[in-house]
Amino acid sequence: MKQKTAVVGFGCAGYHGVKAMREHGYNGEIDVYTDSLWAPANPMLTTYYIYGKLPKEATRPFGTLDELAEKYEFHTVNGQAQKVLSEEKSIRMKDGRIERYDQILIATGARAFLPPVEGLDCKNVFPMRTMEDAGRVKKVLEEEEIHSAVVVGASMVGIKLVELFHARGIKCTLADMAPGIFPIAAVPCIASEIERRLKEKGVDLAFSRALQRIEEADGRRQVVFAGGEWISCDLVMMCIGTRANTQLADEKLRVNRGIVVDGQMRTNMPDIYCAGDCSEGTNLQTKETQIIGIWDNAAKQGRTAGANMAGVRTVYQGNMLHNITHFMGMDFIGYGDVRSEGREYLYENRELGQKFFLRMGDAGPVCMNFLDSYKASGALKSYMLRKINGNAQTLSPVERVRMIREGIPEDLTELLMKDQG
Amino acid sequence: MGKIIDLDIQKCSACGACAVACMDQNDLDLSEGVSPFRVVCDLEDEDGEFQYYSIACFHCEDAPCITACPCNCLRKDKETGFTVYDNTNCIGCHSCAMACPFGALSYRGDGKMVKCDGCAARVKQGLEPACVNNCPTGALRCIEERELKDVKVKRSLKKMMAALDTN
Repeated sequence: MKQKTAVVGFGCAGYHGVKAMREHGYNGEIDVYTDSLWAPANPMLTTYYIYGKLPKEATRPFGTLDELAEKYEFHTVNGQAQKVLSEEKSIRMKDGRIERYDQILIATGARAFLPPVEGLDCKNVFPMRTMEDAGRVKKVLEEEEIHSAVVVGASMVGIKLVELFHARGIKCTLADMAPGIFPIAAVPCIASEIERRLKEKGVDLAFSRALQRIEEADGRRQVVFAGGEWISCDLVMMCIGTRANTQLADEKLRVNRGIVVDGQMRTNMPDIYCAGDCSEGTNLQTKETQIIGIWDNAAKQGRTAGANMAGVRTVYQGNMLHNITHFMGMDFIGYGDVRSEGREYLYENRELGQKFFLRMGDAGPVCMNFLDSYKASGALKSYMLRKINGNAQTLSPVERVRMIREGIPEDLTELLMKDQG
Repeated sequence: MGKIIDLDIQKCSACGACAVACMDQNDLDLSEGVSPFRVVCDLEDEDGEFQYYSIACFHCEDAPCITACPCNCLRKDKETGFTVYDNTNCIGCHSCAMACPFGALSYRGDGKMVKCDGCAARVKQGLEPACVNNCPTGALRCIEERELKDVKVKRSLKKMMAALDTN
């Protein structure tokens, strides 16, 4: 029985890893390494905190670090880890000390990606990932006269900031190098409908524009794009995307964009596990490893790692790309690979303002986008996962009932009923 | 394992008594925008035969809505095993809706999630859930999940759905 465990990083995956270890009877020592005492925090909640929809304490949905340390009996080591030495199963500290373990879980999450452009150090230019970021933006909004903002990055966090600024009466421009909103999740016909609605609400869009630099002029920010076009504003938010925190992994660990893991969340090195946004697990659709940076995925990976580290063999089969984003009275739901190929179908429920896009491959749906039909989203996700897993079962009665109740067009239901892929 | 509310498909007539009892028990005012926790429906099969259903939360043993919630609003009730909630910190993100294969989550007019909690408070007092108590045909039953092993698939919606790969 392993007696000494390190968990490096304590977000969603780290928390679930520790919880699962204890629930599965691991009674050895656990050291939790974290860079933030405001842990385990949920990055998704930062904009809700700024908006005022959540008190600060609620951004740590599982409780405080101290409460959890007592409940799950672990020691906290703050800001000390420098490297995971995978062969030696050790952590090298910033002061050079080496701490040895029987097993290590790497759950260092992801950070906001900042492109290498000039001007990121200008006043009122912020990323949005951590509670520290949220605190800085909240302070600026409360203490300064902010009349206009540019959100660089038409991402899921980007749109939540647009929503926040719009609600405060701040003139907002959403900019991206891509030609449309949610470029890695939305197909053009659904993206264009979202863009139409945003423009109708007074949001300016600046797509197909590559950020070149940010300047300061007359106390304002100038967001300059390739070609020389620029937008003047009071506040700039950088929401281009995230990068996995793999810096602590040594050269012996297999790292692509994230640390590569198998179904048991094992890395290529014995007794070194990895879970959450820093890991590359199995994408069920492509059968390759890929970062699927979603809270739910991190939770499932974390608890799988924890169970295996407690000696209970557990396999997490993987997931497909999926997300749901609720903003400005809309819901966007995207499943699967947006770059896939296949027969395309578009349905509408005009009465409810819903749109449904499906791309069908030989073995069932390969990409789905829905606008404003979140109530049936779970049934449709379940169906698509089943098809990806090679299950010939068509829509179940419960799924059919749900689709009828939520106003899903009959043509779409019939298409899925006929699909025997 | 805990308690579940199961439907005997062969006894259900989709009369709606369960849905009305549920709305009454939970003070659900549909005119205020909330969707009902329990829905009834009939489906026509390929042979033209009709099958009747009453559907609400299945209280999955490993409920996917719990891990999907970014605010930790959902949990298992230790005493009954029902999937219960505290929506104080619900942000209305609909992540739970995307996680549930059965579409069992509802939302109030203010956007906060609400759902069937199995009438946990009634059950703890030795009473039946309101839907079960008002089912005139005995199609709905509140039983321990372990009792399912003796029930035929054709007579159990829970068992029929469990046979499906839903996650």
